[in-house]
Amino acid sequence: MTRSAEAALLIATVVVAGMGVALVNFASGGGLDAQVALTLLVFSIAIGAIHMAVRRWAPHANPFIFPLAMFLTAIGFIEIYRLDSRLVSIQRWSLLVGAAASVALLYALRDDGVALLRRFRYLFLFAAVLLLLLPLLPSGWPLHGIEVNGSRLWVKLEIGNRYASFQPGEVAKVLLIVFLASYLAERHIAMAIVQRKLGRLSIPEPRQLGPVIIAAGASFVILVYQRDLGAALLLFTMFVGMTYLATSRMVYPLAGSVLGLAGGLAAYRFFDHVQVRFHSWLNPWDDFAGSGFQIIQGLFAIGSGSLTGAGLGSGRPDLIPAAETDFIFAAVAEELGFGGAVGIITAYALLAALGFGIALRAREVFLKILAAGLILVVTMQAILILAGILRLLPVTGITLPFMSYGGSSLVANILLLTLLARVSHEVRP
Amino acid sequence: MPALFLNLLKIIFLLLIYIFLWQVARSMRSHVSPNARRSNKTAREIAVVRSETLAGRRFSLEQPKVIGRSSDADIIIDDSYASEFHLRIGFQDGEVILNDLGSTNGTYLNGRRVSVPTAISSSDSIQIGKTIFEVR
Repeated sequence: MTRSAEAALLIATVVVAGMGVALVNFASGGGLDAQVALTLLVFSIAIGAIHMAVRRWAPHANPFIFPLAMFLTAIGFIEIYRLDSRLVSIQRWSLLVGAAASVALLYALRDDGVALLRRFRYLFLFAAVLLLLLPLLPSGWPLHGIEVNGSRLWVKLEIGNRYASFQPGEVAKVLLIVFLASYLAERHIAMAIVQRKLGRLSIPEPRQLGPVIIAAGASFVILVYQRDLGAALLLFTMFVGMTYLATSRMVYPLAGSVLGLAGGLAAYRFFDHVQVRFHSWLNPWDDFAGSGFQIIQGLFAIGSGSLTGAGLGSGRPDLIPAAETDFIFAAVAEELGFGGAVGIITAYALLAALGFGIALRAREVFLKILAAGLILVVTMQAILILAGILRLLPVTGITLPFMSYGGSSLVANILLLTLLARVSHEVRP
Repeated sequence: MPALFLNLLKIIFLLLIYIFLWQVARSMRSHVSPNARRSNKTAREIAVVRSETLAGRRFSLEQPKVIGRSSDADIIIDDSYASEFHLRIGFQDGEVILNDLGSTNGTYLNGRRVSVPTAISSSDSIQIGKTIFEVR
């Protein structure tokens, strides 16, 4: 019964994607062309494959995870198509790759479930650190890092004159969640109980926390070195949040806030672009044509969207810098208005409620921490970038999960929700 | 394409989005609450369903009970897979809570391993090694 509900909702997301692309065409005088057909085809294949795999290998999985994820993917896809029809063919391939990876993951976990992943946790940690280091490979090698906008977080693989580039940090994020969940699942009792006294404060025993600190520290140093401060902030929140969830000790979020504040102040002092970001957050008009340009264009776009928006294909979201990646929410808010923007935020909120619901119902520590960690990261990532666009926080250059243009991000986030779906299959009442 | 028609399509598209979200929100309610499908009959006692030494015995849950192999446990079970102090059944917020005390071989509630404090209710089954209890 729930699986057919899932099928109906998934078909609705295919319809949303196809109709959106058609509306963009109509606005520029076009009609139902090959792009609409391709959109319907690719979404049907990707969604159909995931749905069949879930039916077969995780039949009790929560039926709303993939519909919500695919809904967000569809809305993002429409806006990417509207902004740049060349990028959209890459995004189509990314969606297909993501679906294939999701099917493969569900197949790999079919018998032993996510518990299988616990066996490989140190391998995952090692792989994650290695992936984070990849962009530092010198140029000239077949596999080398490239620098984009002052941050070195891309890797380019060149063989002859063919090449592919990707952001290894996105996959590393998922691997780190799995590592942390399995480590904490084994040690959480000792970490909560074995304490060391420091004056009147009880602090956690360093030996218990050692690997967590090393893992957090290593990924942190690498990300700061590559100047990917948004991802560093996200990982930091993830480490602190998951440790707190596993131990329910207030000392972790408190120490985390202090460390985070200190780290933020240090970053402000030593990195020019952090100072720039901070100033353009508080006083964007000081340098309208320069550092404040992106944020102001984003706000203008959202404002001009009014209640129901300019209509898909009728606004000018092309005026916002990075509209197809970080600022895609501003572009959607312009063309679908306040109504569309609230719809998107609602979808993220529903996804968060589902994820934490799964974590609450889990009766096994590993499943509980894993589910909570997975959904915590997606939610935090969405909050950080949405708040940046709405000028509630300084802009951190991270993608909006599922909606932003970018293959690595889409594939990694689909894998992340596949794990969550598998966990929900295992914790069914 | 006339502007009126485009506007109409835009509104239909937004409506489609909200119908979709409404359907999801409506049907996911039961999936979000932590204990949606539990029977609400309070646990009053546990009965031993399978055991070498205790079969057929019943233990009231008016006081908290610690189950284990140790002679200091409230309910002593002679099961080589059980730990000295295997699990505790206590009360919290008017619910009966099963708490595994870090046992070596684990506690299974309705066939699933539980390692976090979990509310139990009537007709649940608790398995420790080869011993099975039923909550009544």
